[in-house]
Amino acid sequence: MPIISDRVEIKRKPKLGGGGPGKIPHRHGFGGGDDGDRGRPEDFRSRRQRMRRYRLVMGLCLFSVTVVFVVLTFLYILRLGTGRYDEDAHRQIQDWIPLKLPYLQLWVNSLLLLLSSITLEWARRGMARKEEFVDMGIVPPPLKQDLPWLGISVVLGFLFLAGQVLVWQNLQHQGVFLATNPSRNYFYLLTGTHAVHLAGGLVALLYAAGGRLLGLRFESQKIAVEVTGWYWHYLAFLWFCIFALVHFAKG
Amino acid sequence: MKAGLITEARRHGEERDFLRTYVFTSDHKMIGRQYFFLSLAAVLVGAWLSLLMRIHIVWPKTAIPFFGEIKPENYLAYLTMHGTLMVFFVLSMVPQNGFGTFFLPLQLGASEMSFPRLNMIGFWTALLSFFVLMAAFFVPGGPSGAGWTQYPPLSAIALAGPGQALGTDLWLVSIGLFCLASIMSAVNFVATTVTRRAPGMAMMRMPLTCWTWFVTAILILLAFGVLVAAVIMLLLDRHAGTSFFVPGGLLVSGKPVEHSGGSPLLWQHLFWFFGHPEVYIAILPAMGVTSHLLATFARKPVFGYKAMVGATIAIGALGFMVWGHHMFASGMDPHAGFAFSSLTTAIAVPSAVKTFNWVGTLYGGRIRYTTPLLFSVGFVSLFITGGLTGPLLAQPALDVYLHDTYFVVAHFHLIMAMAGLFAIFAATYFWFPKMFGRRMNERLGRLHFCLTLFGAYATFMPMHLLGIAGHPRRYSELTGVQYVTAMLPLQRFITLAAIVTLAAQLIFLFNLFWSLRKGAAAEANPWQCTSLEWTLPSPAPPDGFAARQPAVNHGPYEYLPGTESIEDFVMQDAPAS
Repeated sequence: MPIISDRVEIKRKPKLGGGGPGKIPHRHGFGGGDDGDRGRPEDFRSRRQRMRRYRLVMGLCLFSVTVVFVVLTFLYILRLGTGRYDEDAHRQIQDWIPLKLPYLQLWVNSLLLLLSSITLEWARRGMARKEEFVDMGIVPPPLKQDLPWLGISVVLGFLFLAGQVLVWQNLQHQGVFLATNPSRNYFYLLTGTHAVHLAGGLVALLYAAGGRLLGLRFESQKIAVEVTGWYWHYLAFLWFCIFALVHFAKG
Repeated sequence: MKAGLITEARRHGEERDFLRTYVFTSDHKMIGRQYFFLSLAAVLVGAWLSLLMRIHIVWPKTAIPFFGEIKPENYLAYLTMHGTLMVFFVLSMVPQNGFGTFFLPLQLGASEMSFPRLNMIGFWTALLSFFVLMAAFFVPGGPSGAGWTQYPPLSAIALAGPGQALGTDLWLVSIGLFCLASIMSAVNFVATTVTRRAPGMAMMRMPLTCWTWFVTAILILLAFGVLVAAVIMLLLDRHAGTSFFVPGGLLVSGKPVEHSGGSPLLWQHLFWFFGHPEVYIAILPAMGVTSHLLATFARKPVFGYKAMVGATIAIGALGFMVWGHHMFASGMDPHAGFAFSSLTTAIAVPSAVKTFNWVGTLYGGRIRYTTPLLFSVGFVSLFITGGLTGPLLAQPALDVYLHDTYFVVAHFHLIMAMAGLFAIFAATYFWFPKMFGRRMNERLGRLHFCLTLFGAYATFMPMHLLGIAGHPRRYSELTGVQYVTAMLPLQRFITLAAIVTLAAQLIFLFNLFWSLRKGAAAEANPWQCTSLEWTLPSPAPPDGFAARQPAVNHGPYEYLPGTESIEDFVMQDAPAS
């Protein structure tokens, strides 16, 4: 079977600072193949095209996640408003028991999540600044304020999740369980779904933070951090929406 | 495939083992084939279940070999699994994920999907979801009997029936996984369409198959999230004691159910808000394939390409606004019923635009009567037949009578099962050379078409009469009811027609598997089609367009109707004249 190939061989000289193979003129294919990590060939036409692709996918995923949370919010408000049909009274009754939320804990958690978003944003910007150095093959000079922002974000994210679990436990000590009342059902459903999505985001953040150890090039790690950053900021925004909902629509 | 991919690879000095080539591969073409065969397995199981159901309806006391008599709970389990397998694992899988994964990058001139590894993970999730669903047959109690729609409170209470415990949990987990798999591949489809088109492939130069795969992927992104939410809520109702869907006052075997305060209607809204776009997810790729094939075999451009694109988008958008027409009998406010009814009737407009354009594509063309064309015309025929009963059912006054009767069964089987299936057959015969490097047998294909077309009509047309006469659906046996028993002769006819139709599919299976090994070798463009996948050799080589990137200078359907010669078409990547 004939194969038409115009592979261009390029000698890859090892670069100072261990940067990636640098810009390769477009040899064959045009993206979608491999990412150039772990020694595999790079197939993207340009760095920006690769970033654009990952951003598009994250945007689509956020779109889908938005649908889920819009539906859950809608159901919450609907159930709060319409109540249920009572067989004995032969009419619609309101049976929503408002939750007494542990506001202090919730605000602490919110602060932790907000901080983790901020530190993640700093991490992302730090990487964008470092990128030029990496391109030129120079080891970037350590800046004074160079804390391991990614690691801090991961820790703060874990603390938020732990804090959420503590809030649930606190509520359960007060006798507020998942099954006791529709307000509980929807509260745990909303916060639980958010927590599950956040846990997934945490795994992604761990992947981005541990990028070097996993064999990612700097550029790949930067894309991972950027895209995870979008997701993380979105979840932080979503948390504030959920918090607002359970506060203002308490019933 | 002619020499096998591993042998080919070895010839080029690459070592590739079986697992890397056929199993753990991120090559979109192999993944497309994997989806194809997964759907084939699902359709075989689903068809077998439908055969059992049809036999049971007319000969209730018949003992199936190795199994025995079909009890009512078995019957309900079979209809649930039949619906689930067919709607999810066949109709939502092979037109979109099977053929789309294989051909979207090729038709766009891309070397791969945007995220090949995500593609692979999507397939493996779908495969896992299939195994989880099949496991329901082997657990105590068997599969769920609540229908593919799983209405609570039946589906919410584990004690409600034999299949309602583990069987329903497995169903829910399976469908949850399936939703995740679909979303993963939909994300890939949209990203590929937006970013991976070859130079010159403008959106309005894409073949209509690519348009429908794109719009379907967007529908998947919007609709499946709602199903995931609903499935999770149902799982919580079943295991965590919540009451999203469980109303008060329920008794199971005389004992009251503990939780209360939920609404079964809520599930219906959530499910059908997903469920209606789902049927468009099933049919839109089939429509795209039909447009593509009709143009190819009529040797004419698609009539009204822009209108087809607009109609596709309109069907997708309107499809989200009509879910209430599945709930006309639920006691909704008549004003809401009016709104849903109007919107549902409105969907007939873009569907009619598409139908007229298909006919317009064929009209005046120099038609080549190949098997793919026959199945495409069969699609149009069945789409019209099944589709015409749609606006009928969209009238609440009529639907109150016809809901849950065989009339509805006839409607959706004709338009989804038969039309969708015909498009799948057409696509299989059409793309078989590109996927496997061989031609399927043309004579057997035509025989398969004739028998299946007649069988489809013979099986499902009489069901309209059954429905109008008031025969309800989802009943295992109604031999004690006089007016239903009077319809048994017609049911027998339907069963015989169904048996003949199913037997005709054996011809297709034989053709498929025999051609895989012994079919005539196919050249690069056996059908003289203009789209980009036909510029590659048959079967499509593993590196696809990676070696050379096409530049697109022409529209997708540049057939030259007045030409007498065999060269009456211009490939999309031919030099600009």
